[in-house]
Amino acid sequence: MKEVCAIIRMNRINETKRALADAGIPSVTAKKVLGRGTGKVEYLIQPDISTEFEETQNPSECGPKLIPKRMLTIVVPDASKDKVVQTIIKINQTGKSGDGKIFVMPIIDACRVSTGEQGDAAVDEQT
Amino acid sequence: MIMVRGIVRPEKVADVMSALMYAGFPAVTKMDVYGRGKQRGIKIGDVTYDELAKELLMVVAPAKDKELIVETIMKAARTGGKGAFGDGKVFVSPVEESYTISSGNRQTD
Repeated sequence: MKEVCAIIRMNRINETKRALADAGIPSVTAKKVLGRGTGKVEYLIQPDISTEFEETQNPSECGPKLIPKRMLTIVVPDASKDKVVQTIIKINQTGKSGDGKIFVMPIIDACRVSTGEQGDAAVDEQT
Repeated sequence: MIMVRGIVRPEKVADVMSALMYAGFPAVTKMDVYGRGKQRGIKIGDVTYDELAKELLMVVAPAKDKELIVETIMKAARTGGKGAFGDGKVFVSPVEESYTISSGNRQTD
């Protein structure tokens, strides 16, 4: 089994969920996260805004501000990994920095709580 | 590649984030979590707080940077000189591959 952890833009979540469901992977866990990446992003909405107010300064002094993102966690059998990754890339790709990342991690075991099935049977689609 | 997940005190997040930035790891994801450790929460008078607010910081980096990231997080997240209960934990797990969505590039290390 593989865990696919994708960090995507906030406004792409619905399209991604729809595309994954169409591809046969309806089970997704989503969470709102904050993050920063390696890319340089223009944060200022109003570039000429005064910086004399405390609120307009970066309080943490830790470089770029954190950007809201959505994190999707999908656990699939090994065979479906490429399909998930390619679907997410296709839907979320705009070519600009900030599109996000996908991480693929191994999962040792899975268990379906309702029936107690273990292993690949637990992450296969319920019919 | 490895994924380092550090669970730290909310008030230490800014310190850890800037320490990671200076150590050369600008890419970090942060999320709010609640949990308890082996001290079973915290007891103040008669009230027991079972789930304490923490922040989870997630860094994915090449495997060779593991020691540096873990050291950086631990040094920045410690309270006082020797640290205290509730400072948090750092977990390291393997990542097999990662993709940059904007370019579609695949990295395996």
